[in-house]
Amino acid sequence: GVVPLLLVLHWKHGAGTPLPITPVNATCATRHPCHSNLMNQIRNQLAQLNGSANALFILYYTAQGEPFPNNLDKLCGPNVTDFPPFHANGTEKTRLVELYRIIAYLGASLGNITRDQKVLNPNALSLHSKLNATADILRGLLSNVLCRLCNKYHVAHVDVAYGPDTSGKDVFQKKKLGCQLLGKYKQVIAVVAQA
Amino acid sequence: MTSVLLPLCERNPEPMALFSVSQTAFLLAFLSLRTYQSEGLSEPLPWAPESLKVSVNTTCQCLHLQWTVHNLAHHQEFRMVFQIEISRIKTSNVIWVENYTTTVKWNQVLHWSWESKLPLECAKHFIRMRSAVDAAKTPGPRVWSSWSSWEEADVQNSLGQDPLFIFPKDKLVEEGSNVTICYVSKSHQNNISCYLEGVRMQGEQLDPNVSVFNLNHVAFIRETGTNIYCKPGQGDGIKGTVLFVSKVLQEPKDFSCETQDFMTLNCTWDPGSDTGLLKQLSQSYTLFESFSGKKTLCKPKSWCLWQVAPESQDMYNFTLTAENYLRKRSVHLLFNLTHRVHPMAPFNILFKNVSATSATMTWKVHSIGKYYTLLCQVELYGEGKVTQHNVSVKVDGAHLFSGLEPDTEYLAQVRCANGDYFWKWSEWTHQNFTTAEAAPSEAPDVWRNVKTVQGRCVVTLFWKPLSKPQAHGKILFYNIVIEYLDRTSVSEVLSIPAPASGTELPLNQCSSQIRITASNSVGTSPASVLVVSREPGNEEVEEERVKGTEDGFPLSWNPQPRHVTGYLVEWCEQPRDPPCDLQWKNLGPNVTSTVVSSDAFRPGVRYNFRIYGISTERVPYLLARKTGYSQELAPSDNPQVVMTNLTSHSFTLSWKNYSTESQTSFIQGYHVYLKSKAGRCHSGSEKAVLSDDVVCCKYKIDNPEQKTFVVENLQPESFYEFLVTPYTSVGEGPHDAFAKVTTPDEYSPTLIRILLPTVFCILLIMITCYLKSQWMKEKCYPDIPDPYKSSVLSLIKSKENPHLTIMNIKDCVPDSIEVLNKQEGTRKSLTETESTKPTYLYLLPTEKRYSSPGPCICFENFTYNQAASDSASCGHVPVPPKAPPSQLGLLTSPENLLKALEKNYMNSLGEIPAGETSLNYVSQLASPMSGDMSNLPTNPPEPALCSEYKMQMAIPLGLASPPSSGSSSLSSITLLDEGEHYH
Repeated sequence: GVVPLLLVLHWKHGAGTPLPITPVNATCATRHPCHSNLMNQIRNQLAQLNGSANALFILYYTAQGEPFPNNLDKLCGPNVTDFPPFHANGTEKTRLVELYRIIAYLGASLGNITRDQKVLNPNALSLHSKLNATADILRGLLSNVLCRLCNKYHVAHVDVAYGPDTSGKDVFQKKKLGCQLLGKYKQVIAVVAQA
Repeated sequence: MTSVLLPLCERNPEPMALFSVSQTAFLLAFLSLRTYQSEGLSEPLPWAPESLKVSVNTTCQCLHLQWTVHNLAHHQEFRMVFQIEISRIKTSNVIWVENYTTTVKWNQVLHWSWESKLPLECAKHFIRMRSAVDAAKTPGPRVWSSWSSWEEADVQNSLGQDPLFIFPKDKLVEEGSNVTICYVSKSHQNNISCYLEGVRMQGEQLDPNVSVFNLNHVAFIRETGTNIYCKPGQGDGIKGTVLFVSKVLQEPKDFSCETQDFMTLNCTWDPGSDTGLLKQLSQSYTLFESFSGKKTLCKPKSWCLWQVAPESQDMYNFTLTAENYLRKRSVHLLFNLTHRVHPMAPFNILFKNVSATSATMTWKVHSIGKYYTLLCQVELYGEGKVTQHNVSVKVDGAHLFSGLEPDTEYLAQVRCANGDYFWKWSEWTHQNFTTAEAAPSEAPDVWRNVKTVQGRCVVTLFWKPLSKPQAHGKILFYNIVIEYLDRTSVSEVLSIPAPASGTELPLNQCSSQIRITASNSVGTSPASVLVVSREPGNEEVEEERVKGTEDGFPLSWNPQPRHVTGYLVEWCEQPRDPPCDLQWKNLGPNVTSTVVSSDAFRPGVRYNFRIYGISTERVPYLLARKTGYSQELAPSDNPQVVMTNLTSHSFTLSWKNYSTESQTSFIQGYHVYLKSKAGRCHSGSEKAVLSDDVVCCKYKIDNPEQKTFVVENLQPESFYEFLVTPYTSVGEGPHDAFAKVTTPDEYSPTLIRILLPTVFCILLIMITCYLKSQWMKEKCYPDIPDPYKSSVLSLIKSKENPHLTIMNIKDCVPDSIEVLNKQEGTRKSLTETESTKPTYLYLLPTEKRYSSPGPCICFENFTYNQAASDSASCGHVPVPPKAPPSQLGLLTSPENLLKALEKNYMNSLGEIPAGETSLNYVSQLASPMSGDMSNLPTNPPEPALCSEYKMQMAIPLGLASPPSSGSSSLSSITLLDEGEHYH
C-alpha cells in the first residue's frame, strides 16, 4: 500500500511528525520546468477537486450501507484530529506549504480508502473510479505545488504527516474512518479552493 | 454416492492432542491404578491436573487450556478423564461442563479448546478442572481428583479507552446459524440502542455495562456483510461491527464423469451457490481417486479433467470434496470407464445420389477403439414429418433415405453412442439437402368468367398456384389450349409465364374447350378442362339470403336431376368497388352443401355467392345465388333526404339515391321521425322516445325500396324536424342531426297575389314621378311662387283691401350701411382724401356686375336665422385677394367671421388707418346721406369693397341656402361697389 511506502520514506524522521520547512537557502531543483501558468493550474485543480468532493462523499457513504447514509453526523463527521491545518489568511508561501501537507495527507488516506473499498465493496465500481480519479488529481496537484514552492520560494522539501493506517482495523472501523476522512476532505477542499 | 458432513464447529472442541496407546501399556497402567485405588481411597489422586493455563483467542472466540499431569512415571501412560468447568462472570455461574478423555503419558502438556458462543470480550470467564482415571471398562464409581483453582480469562481489561465496544468483530457465520452480539459500555450509559440493517435489536442485560443480543437464524443479505451498530442516547459515538453471513456450502450435485476418447475423464457437477465472502474465499473442490490414490485440485468450480491412466484401469472410485472456511462436503462416484463413453459428434456428412424421391447420406465418426461399435441414430425432417433410423457404425456410416418428396428441402441429422454399453448420445450433427424436381402431379385448379364484349366472347381465366407437393418444382409457365367446339376455327395455344394467376382471352367463338396445364423444368401437369358455352346459364335464378356464422357461410343447394360431375361455388372476397378477388371452391358431385370460410370475410360486407353445377360436358350452369353477411352491422349512415312539395300541411321526403345493396346489413325498411312542438301524432305514426328523451312521431316504411314519403297533417306556420333512418335486424341507423322545416302560412299565397300587383303599381308611379319631377315641381311647388297665382292674393283682395296690389321691386328703397371711418393722425390710407367724410356702402339690388374684382364684406343678421347664416357664411364671404387660405377656416363661426371680416376688411384697406371703424345700419326708412342712388355705383369707396347683407326677414330654412344665381336671389341684398359679387 501507499502508507507503508510513505512511512518508509519518512522513517528517518519519524512518521506522523511534521518537520520544519527546508531552509530557504537550501538548493532546490525540479526535474522539469514548471508550467508558466502554474498558479492557475493549481487553482483549477483545486476547483476540480472541490467540484467532485461531494459526489465522492455521497458515493462512499451510500456504498457502505446502513447506518452510514442516515447517521452522517455521527459516523462521517469531519473529526479527523491529525488533519494538517490550513490558514487561508496566510502568505502564499505558507498556504502552499500547508496545501502540500494536506495533499500529501489526503493522497495517503485516499490510498488506504481505495485499498479497503476494493476489498469491502468490490462491486462499487463507480466509487472505485471516483477514488482513483481524485487520487490522480491529487498527485498532479502535489507536483504543481511542489514546483511552485521550489521555483518561487526555494522550498525543496516539506515534512508531512499521514493519517492512521487502517489495515489492522476491523471492517466497520475502516468504513467509518474512510467516511470521516472524505467528510473532512469535502470540508477542507472547499476552504482551500476559495483561498 | 454418499456424502460426509464435517462441520468445523464440531471439530473445534475436539482434543488438541491424541496419542496412540499400546494395549500392553494400558493394561499395566490400569492394573497399577486399581492397586492404588484399593490401597487408599481417601488420599488425593496423585495425577491431578497442574499448571493450568488459559489463553484467549478472540478471532475464533476460543479459550485454549493447557496443563500437565505430574507424578507420572517414565513411560507410564493412562487413559484419563478431565472434567472441565467454565463459569461466566462469576465462578458460581457455571455455563459449561465437559469431560475430556485422553491418554496421558509422562511429561506431556495437554491441550483443550472451547469456543464460546458469547464473545469473550463481553464477560469474564473462569475455568477449572479435575481428573480421573478412565474406568469405563471397570465397574464402580469414578474417583475424581480435587478441582484445580479457578483460572480467569478476562479480555475487557485490554479493550482500551473507548466508551463503547461491540463484539464480535467481523465474525463469519453460516446462514441460518445463531449469533450472539454484545456491547460493552464504559461510559455507564443505559440508553444504548443497537440495530441490524436499521432494525433495532432487543437484547438482555448481562451486567450493568454489557448487553447481549441473540440473533437466531441469521440470513444472508449481501456478500459485503451486514452492518450492526449501536449508538448511545447521547453523544456521537456510534460503534459497529460487520457480520459476514455465508451461504451454506452445498453438496455438489449431479457429479458425473465420462470420457470421449479414453484419454481423459471429464467430471462435472453442479456446485450450488457460491459461498465466497470478503472474509472467506469461494469453496474449493478436490477430486480424489481411491484406486490410484491420486488427487487433484479442481480450479473450475463445476468441472475437472482427470487423465486416464495409461495402464488399463477400468474401475474408478472418485471422491469430490467441496470445502470452505466453515464446512466440508464430499460425494463419491464409482464406475467402469467403458460404461461412461460419450462419443464425439459425427462429422463430414455428405449426400450422394440425390434424386426426386431418394438420397444417400454418409458420415464419419471419431473412433473409440477398434473393439467398440457405435450405434448411430439418423433423423430426417421434411414436410412436417420426422423419420428416425438406427445404424451400427464402426468407422463410416451410411443410410439411404427413400420415399422423399420431389423438390423438397430436408434436414438430416445423426448422433452416435457406445453400442456395447449405452451411456449418452453424442451431440447432433446435421445437414440440409433438397431433392430433385419432378413433373407437377396435379392439374391446376381453374375457373373462368365469361363476358361478351361487342358481340364477342371474352373469357377471363383464373387459376390457383399449385401447392408445393403438387408442383414438384418451380412452375415456369402455364399452357392454355383453346379448342373451338364447332371446329370452324383453328385451336389456339398460349403460354403464360408464372407466377401469373390468370389471363383474359378473347375467343373467336364462344363454344370452346379450354385446357390448362402447368409446367416446370421437368414436365407438365395433367390438364384442367373448361368448356365455355354461349348460353349464359340460368341467370334468372332468384337470389336467396344466407346468414353467415363464425365458421363461414353455410351454403346448400338442391341436388340436380341431371348428371353432374361436380359443383362449384364462386364469390368475390372484395365485393366493394372494382376489386373483386374472385374465389371459387370445387365440390364433388354428391355434395349439396358446403361452408365457405375465409379470413378475408369482414363484418358488415355483403358477399354474393353463385353456385354452379358442372355438367358432364364440363359446362358450368348457374344453380343458385346466395347473398349474406358474415355479420350484420347496424347502418352507420342515414340516407341523404331531399324535401320537396312543402305546403302548409305537408311535405315530401325523398332518398332515391340510397342504395340498399351496399349497406352493412339487409335493409328492412325505414323509420321517419318527426319532431314537432305540438307533440301529437296522427294516424300512421306512433310516438317514439329517442335516446335523448325527446318524444317524436315515428312513421314506419316496411318496403326498403320505397324511398319517398309524404308527411301530412301538418300545421301551418309550424316548425318541424325530421329524420329518415333505415332499420335492419341488428338495429337502425344513427339518430344524428334532424333536418328542420317550417310550414308556410296558409294565406300567404293569396296575400302574395294581391300584394305583388299593388307594389308594382306603386313602383311605376314612383318612377314616373321621378322622371317628371321637374315638371311636377314647377307645377306643384315652384321655388318662387308667382304672387299673381297665389290664392292668398285673391283672398286678400276679396276680403280686405280691394285696392291692394303687389309690390313691385322697383318701388323698394334699398337699405344702406353707413361706414364711419375715424381718421387718426397722419396715417396714410387709400381714402385719405375722403377721410373726413363718412363712407356709405349702399345696399343695392344686384342689377349690375362690376368687372373689377374687389373684396366684399358679408353681413349676416344672426338674430333671424342662425342656420342660414352658418350655411351661407362662407359662400358669401368675399375673400380678400391677399388673404391667406388658412384664414378661411376661421370664418366658420359667426364670431370668427365678424372678426375676420373686420380684420380682412381693415387689411384689405391697406394703408387705411387703424382707427375706429364702425358699420352703421341704415334702415330702409332712413334717408340716405346721398339721396342720389344713381351715384352710388359711381362713387364707391376706395379700395373697392363688397359687403353682402341678407335681408332682415325670417325665411324658411329650406330657402336659406345660397342662391344658385344672382337673378334668383331675391332674399339677399348685395352691397355693391365696383368689385365683383362673389358667391
